[in-house]
Amino acid sequence: MTRSAIRPKWVLMLLAIALVAAACGDDDAETTTTAAAAGTTTVTTAGDDGDTATTAAPATTAAAAEPMVLVAAQGSEPDTLDPHLTSAYASFQVLENVYDTLVQPGDDLSMEPALAESWTISADNLTWTFVLRQGVKFHNGREFVADDVVFSFERIIAEGLNGWRFGSVESVTAVDDYTVDVTLTVPSPNLLVSVAGFKGMAIVAKETVEDGTIATNPVGTGPFRFVSQSPDGGIVLEANSDFWRAGEGLPILDGIRFVQIPDAGTKLTALRTGEVDWIDAVPPQDVDGLSSEAGITVGRVPGGDYHYFALNQNRPPFNDVRVRRAIATAINRTEIAEAAQFGAATANQTAIPASNGSWHLDYAPYQSADIAGAQALLDDAGVADLSIDFLVTSDFPETVTQAQVIAAQLAPLGITVNIVDVDFGTWLDMEGNGEFDAFMLSWIGNIDPDDFYYAQHHTGEWANFQGYSNPDVDALLDAARVETDSAARKALYDQAAAMIVDDASYIYLYNPDNINAWSDAVGGYATRGDNAIRFVGTFLQP
Amino acid sequence: MTVAPSTPMERLPEKPVSRSREIWQTLIANRLAVAGLVVLALLVLMAVLAEVIAPFGINDIDIPNRLTGPSMSHWFGTDDLGRDVLSRVIIASRVSLQVGFIAVGFALAFGVPIGLVAGYYRGKTDSILMRLMDILFSFPAILLAIAILAVLGPGIRNAMVAIGLVYTPIFARITRGSVIVVSEEVYIRAARSLGARDGRIIFRHILPNVLAPIIVQTTLSLAFAILSEAALSFLGLGVQPPNPAWGRMLAEGRNFFQQAPWMGIFPGVAILVTVMSFNFVGDGLRDALDPKQKSVIESRGQSV
Repeated sequence: MTRSAIRPKWVLMLLAIALVAAACGDDDAETTTTAAAAGTTTVTTAGDDGDTATTAAPATTAAAAEPMVLVAAQGSEPDTLDPHLTSAYASFQVLENVYDTLVQPGDDLSMEPALAESWTISADNLTWTFVLRQGVKFHNGREFVADDVVFSFERIIAEGLNGWRFGSVESVTAVDDYTVDVTLTVPSPNLLVSVAGFKGMAIVAKETVEDGTIATNPVGTGPFRFVSQSPDGGIVLEANSDFWRAGEGLPILDGIRFVQIPDAGTKLTALRTGEVDWIDAVPPQDVDGLSSEAGITVGRVPGGDYHYFALNQNRPPFNDVRVRRAIATAINRTEIAEAAQFGAATANQTAIPASNGSWHLDYAPYQSADIAGAQALLDDAGVADLSIDFLVTSDFPETVTQAQVIAAQLAPLGITVNIVDVDFGTWLDMEGNGEFDAFMLSWIGNIDPDDFYYAQHHTGEWANFQGYSNPDVDALLDAARVETDSAARKALYDQAAAMIVDDASYIYLYNPDNINAWSDAVGGYATRGDNAIRFVGTFLQP
Repeated sequence: MTVAPSTPMERLPEKPVSRSREIWQTLIANRLAVAGLVVLALLVLMAVLAEVIAPFGINDIDIPNRLTGPSMSHWFGTDDLGRDVLSRVIIASRVSLQVGFIAVGFALAFGVPIGLVAGYYRGKTDSILMRLMDILFSFPAILLAIAILAVLGPGIRNAMVAIGLVYTPIFARITRGSVIVVSEEVYIRAARSLGARDGRIIFRHILPNVLAPIIVQTTLSLAFAILSEAALSFLGLGVQPPNPAWGRMLAEGRNFFQQAPWMGIFPGVAILVTVMSFNFVGDGLRDALDPKQKSVIESRGQSV
């Protein structure tokens, strides 16, 4: 589910804007102090499942009995355990439990304190000051201080895959051991999401980077400590007794073992037989059957990922908006979603799902499967006998399925769809070189509208492979990026989104659900809207 | 022990049966080979008439009727997009046979001349050509095909080229070996001493005498070429969707094996039947063409 390689995988936060909104709203008052709230927030929100968990599963009983180790099956092997240099979802499943970020998306996906207890914004919106939690220890015993934040952020900017997220950051400085200033070139209302939205922005221990062990022996501040990785034993983590939420009884598990089972069917069988306690995904066609099975719980929440395809606007006739609109009109999104996801998805003509209440725009200008309307548009454009080289990849099999459905849906228009199915590495090369009439994939882990639109639709941006260029959209996206009033910002994005949909820069298809499954013995775990895999409050019942 | 005088098995020394007739008779005496021939004939017929026979189009998507089991309207059931598996298996037979025949044809067209030249001229020519073949031969066949497709890009045409290239050295080797043996025969020396040109010797005198192993190898290679095509399709390197190929259908069926086993079973059976038929025919041909085997077959025929 990862965009991988040049596509940083970030964990999405559907509703996260709440905090940004709060921060922005308050800035009339010159400075925002979330500090007061933060103290309690830490305990209440972050401790939510922790509180219930601690009472429900007394850690003492577990300690007395044999170690409580959760076996979690993931679909692929982490490529590296260096959080700044990986884009693999498998890596983040592990690292989510090893590392911390300055702040983090909470259960409702709004940003809550983590390593930073509070933060303030200067009157000119150009300096964010983070007050760090004291007494936090890395897994190697060293205390976490402001220099670690500076080091981590500077490393991400210099060599990390997510350096672009610091585009508006001028400098990061340690004021003292427990205070960090982030200075910006332009106001960035979505800074928290940018610099702490997922574990790709993790705070790492400097010494592990310097001695080169970070990729194989990650040292963080999170609830679990990395122990070992081996082909037979998988990845072994053990509870971090010095965790900064140890006072709340967290983590509850004594350890986690991640095993890798690439075949989805085998993985499911392993869960059924009790060989593993938790699996990271369920094939869509198995969700219904599995939900009614005794002993297994399926966690399913609407996700913020979106599936789309784009036509190459550097090539005629796809540079003609009428041709793109014709295709957007002729397809049937509901059928595509049903075909690929067996109902575990919601058709959408825009990027941001309805579950993202803050930024969702209810806008669906296209008829579904309107062949006559599409034909009229094509006739108007003077295009006939259209042939589309459609770039997909078997590494994300749903793209192959969807392309076949689209081929069938476009057939009545006399459009020939030549599906080009290549491995993902080749796919990325071909996409990058513009060798396609159309390509299809998904974007995952978005929360802020800037993530959804800027890199993909702003003229000349790195992810704008389809060659879209609309000066009005550029102006709106640029303005929205620095607009600190959330209502005004939303208005700007709504306008831009409508134009992007009208111009069919991307042809949006649907938002899939996030799905995990686990045995009934597992408690204190919930599938999250941002797909982050957090076992901090998880326990096993005998 | 005793043979009825009227059986065709009876052979009179003074009236020898022609060689081709003899081969044919040995071949059809082999029941498995006959069965293979019949199945292959039906397969070819099916491939030629595929569009007429197939009850549905290959990409007739019908989501509400997805993953339904075999029934009167869909004999082989439907796949995850509600497409008729029978129709797709039928249309895919064309791909398999086409790739098989063209790829092996390619291998023949290059391998046999290389083997002829190398075996006849020997010396440096032989060394250079055969070392080139050895290089190709040193890679596992399917791995080399994947590597070639990685360079050329996926697709049915490139798959044919890749498979053809992989099988070329086999034909070159087999041809060369036979040519070396035949070249020493007295009649070749006689032809040479009569002043026959190389071309004439190679094509008139050597080629006909090395055909037997080539024919056997061709039949067996067809089976392996079809298997290779299925393997490449399984990996997504062959025919591109929505066009069906047995290997690709197997790969798709794998994900639905619990809900819809027919998605994988029928294409799998199709591969099995086709490859086995070619193998049976190939074995039969080898028995019929191989002089060393012939006596065994005959004695078997006598004792039945």
